[in-house]
Amino acid sequence: MTPPTFPPPRRRRRRGAASAAVLALTLAASLAACSSEDTPSADTATAGGPVTLEFWTWSLKGSDPEAKAIVDKYHQEHPNVTVKLSEVGGTADTSSKLLAADKAGDTPDVVQVEYRGLPALVVSGAVKEITADVASVKGNVDPNIWALTTFNDQVYGVPQDIGPMMLTYRKDLFDKYGVKVPTTWAEYAEAAEKIREKNPDAYIASFAAREFEFFAAQAAQAGAQWWSNDGKAWKVGIDSEASLKTADYWEDLVKRDLVKVEPLLTPEWNAKVNKGEILSWAAAAWAPSVLYSVAPDTAGKWESAPLPQWTPGDPAVPFMGGSTYLVPAKSKHPKEAAAFAAWLGASDEGSKLLLSLDLFPGGNAGRQATLSHEPPQLMPQQKDFYTITDQVIKNTTIPVTWGPNVNVAQTAFGDALNKAALDRTSFREVYKATQQAVVADLEKAGYTVAK
Amino acid sequence: MPATSAPSSGRRTRVRAVATPWLFATPAIVLFTLFLIIPIGYAIYLSFRGFRIEGGGAFGRRVQTFVGLDNYLSALTDPGYVAGLGRVLLYGVIAIPSVLGLALLFALLLDTPRVRARGFARTAIFLPYAVPGVIASLLWGFLYLPSTSPITYLAERLGAGPLDFFGFPALYFSLANIALWSGVGFNMIIIFTSLRAIPASIYEAARIDGASELQIAWRIKIPLVAPALVLTGLFSVIGTLQLYSEPATLRPMSNTISATWVPLMKIYQEAFMNDNLGGAAAASVVLALGILVISLLLLRFFQRRTFGDNA
Repeated sequence: MTPPTFPPPRRRRRRGAASAAVLALTLAASLAACSSEDTPSADTATAGGPVTLEFWTWSLKGSDPEAKAIVDKYHQEHPNVTVKLSEVGGTADTSSKLLAADKAGDTPDVVQVEYRGLPALVVSGAVKEITADVASVKGNVDPNIWALTTFNDQVYGVPQDIGPMMLTYRKDLFDKYGVKVPTTWAEYAEAAEKIREKNPDAYIASFAAREFEFFAAQAAQAGAQWWSNDGKAWKVGIDSEASLKTADYWEDLVKRDLVKVEPLLTPEWNAKVNKGEILSWAAAAWAPSVLYSVAPDTAGKWESAPLPQWTPGDPAVPFMGGSTYLVPAKSKHPKEAAAFAAWLGASDEGSKLLLSLDLFPGGNAGRQATLSHEPPQLMPQQKDFYTITDQVIKNTTIPVTWGPNVNVAQTAFGDALNKAALDRTSFREVYKATQQAVVADLEKAGYTVAK
Repeated sequence: MPATSAPSSGRRTRVRAVATPWLFATPAIVLFTLFLIIPIGYAIYLSFRGFRIEGGGAFGRRVQTFVGLDNYLSALTDPGYVAGLGRVLLYGVIAIPSVLGLALLFALLLDTPRVRARGFARTAIFLPYAVPGVIASLLWGFLYLPSTSPITYLAERLGAGPLDFFGFPALYFSLANIALWSGVGFNMIIIFTSLRAIPASIYEAARIDGASELQIAWRIKIPLVAPALVLTGLFSVIGTLQLYSEPATLRPMSNTISATWVPLMKIYQEAFMNDNLGGAAAASVVLALGILVISLLLLRFFQRRTFGDNA
C-alpha cells in the first residue's frame, strides 16, 4: 500500500520524513487492508532451521533491483535466513498497522519507522528492546546518531538513514536575482524580500505548516526542547520563549508575504518548483532526491548549503527525518531480526549498500563511502555536496527527543498553524495551544508532566 | 401404532412449521450477527476503554483499561468534533438541494414525450457515478489548483485574478460540486424509474383536461414521485453526514482542510493516527446515533406528508 503521490516520483524518495504522511494523498483507502497475505509464522523455526523475516520498509522496495540485491546478499551470507520485503506506507501508516498487528499477535520481524515515531511505539509495548543484540555494532555508528534510538539507556532500534539539515536552493536563480546564500535566518528573510522584489511571482520557499519536524528543528536550533524527560517525568517546551521566538519569525515572514503559504509536494508546489517560482527548500540532505523526483528537468540548477542559523557562526543543527529499524516485541525470530537490522543499518557492508538506495546511511562506513560518491542527480555539478553534508553531520550536535505523543501534536499543530497563516493571526497562540494539548494528552494517559 | 403416531406427527409438523422460517432466515441472521451485531458490540465495548500508563516513568507502557464515559465526554466536548458536525451541515445545505434538484430536473426532462437520445443522455448523466469518489476528488483537485487548473487559466486570460477554490466559502461549493457531479446520476435514475412506473392513463386524462407538460410535471409527476424524493433525500442526508473521501483526498492539496474537518476524518485521525481506538469508537457511536435520530425524524416528518396518515 504505497502512499501515492502525483506525479509518481521517478526515483524512490530518500526522505522518510514527512513524505508518506504529508505528501501522500490519503488515496488508496488508508483504511483498507493491512498487509497482504502474511506468511503467518510459516516457519516457527527450531534453532538452525530456515527462517523467513518479514520486513516492513518503504526504503527497500521489492520491485527495486538494488533492494533485491541487498536482500539476496544477506541470504547468501546467511543461507538460513530469507528476508521478505513488504511496503505498508510511511511512518504513520506503518505505526498504526504495527499496533494492530501487535494486538493480533502476528507481527512482522523488522520494521522501518522514522525516529519521530519510535517513542509512541515503544510506550505501546510493541517494540522489543535489543540493547544486547546490537551491542556489537554500536561502535560503527556515531554517538549522536545512535542516541536517536536509545531511551533510558535501552536501545530500541538500529539507525538506517539520517537527515542532516541543509538548505537546497536554485543556484541559478539566486545568482540571477543577486541573492547571497543566507547563513543566518535574518539573511534568509532579506533574501526572501529581495526575491519578491525581483520577481513578484517567485518566493524563496513555501511555508508548509504541516511540516511538523521542520518547526521542531527550528525551535531546537533556537535552543528549545519540545519534548524532554529525566527518566521519570516529561517536560514539554513548545511554548518556551526560545520556541515562541521562532514562531514570531515565521509569522513575520508570512505577514509580509515573503513565503508562500502552501503545502509541499502538491501538484501546485511541484509546478511552481518546475517554473522556478519556489526557489529553495530548507530540509535535510534527502531533499535533493525528492526534488529530483518532481522536477528532473531542473537538475544542475540546484545546490545545497548548510542550514541558516539563528546565531551567526553557530554551526549546530539537529537531524530532521531519517528512519530506524526496530524489532517488534512479538516477532517470532527476534534474534535473527536484530542481527539482520544490525547488519543492514550498522555493519560496514550493510551501510555501504544502503547508499545504493540513495539513502544517507547512518553507519560510519556508509557515511565514509558518501565522500567518494557522485553528488545527487539534482546537482551533478556540486562536487563538494557530500563533503558539506559530512561537515553538517559533524555539526549535528543538537539532540532532539521525541515524546510518546508526537502524533497528537503533529496534526493539531499543522492545521492550527495553517489557519493562523491564512487568517494572519498569532503564531504564538498556536504554539501555546499545542503545548496545552500535548500536556493534557500526556496527563490523560497517566504520565507525569513537569512544569 | 397408528393411533399413537398421529399426534406425534402432528407435533412434528408444528415444529417444522415453526422451524422452517428460522431455517430460511439462518444465513441472514448469521451474517447479520457476524458482520453487524458483533462489530457494533465490539465498537461499543471499545468506546468505554482507553490506554492508560502502567508503571511510572517517562517510558511507562500504555495498557488498555476501562475508562467509563471519558471517551464520550471528550468526544462531545471536543470543539473540533462539534465544528466538524457544523461543517457537514453547511455542506449538506448546499449539496443536498442542488443534487436532488438537478436529479429531479433531469429525470423530468428525460421523461418528457418528445425527448431525443434518451438512452444516451441517461447513461451520460449516470456515468460519473461509476467513478470512485477518491478518483473524482483527485480529478477535481487538479481542476481546482491554480497551477494545473484550466478554469483558472481561462479566468486569468479573461482578466480575472487567480481563483481560490479552497478558500471560504468557496471550499464548500467546491466540495458540493464534486458531490453534484457524481451524485446526480444515481439519484436521477431512482426518480426516473419511479416516473416510468406512473400509468400513462393519468397523463392522457390530464392532457384531455388541457394541462401543459409543465403543469403535468408540477401537479402530477412531482407529487407522484414524492416517495422516491424522500428516499433519495434520506440517502443524501446520510451520505452527507458520512462525508469523508472528498475532503480527505483534497486535504494534502490545500491549506484549509484540517485533519478533523468532518466527523469521519476526526474518527479516522483518532483511530489510526493517534492510536486512540476508544475515542474513535465513542465518536463513531455518537455519529451513528445522530444519523439514526435525524433519519427517523426526517422519515416521520415526510411519511405523514407523502404517504398519508395510514402509512
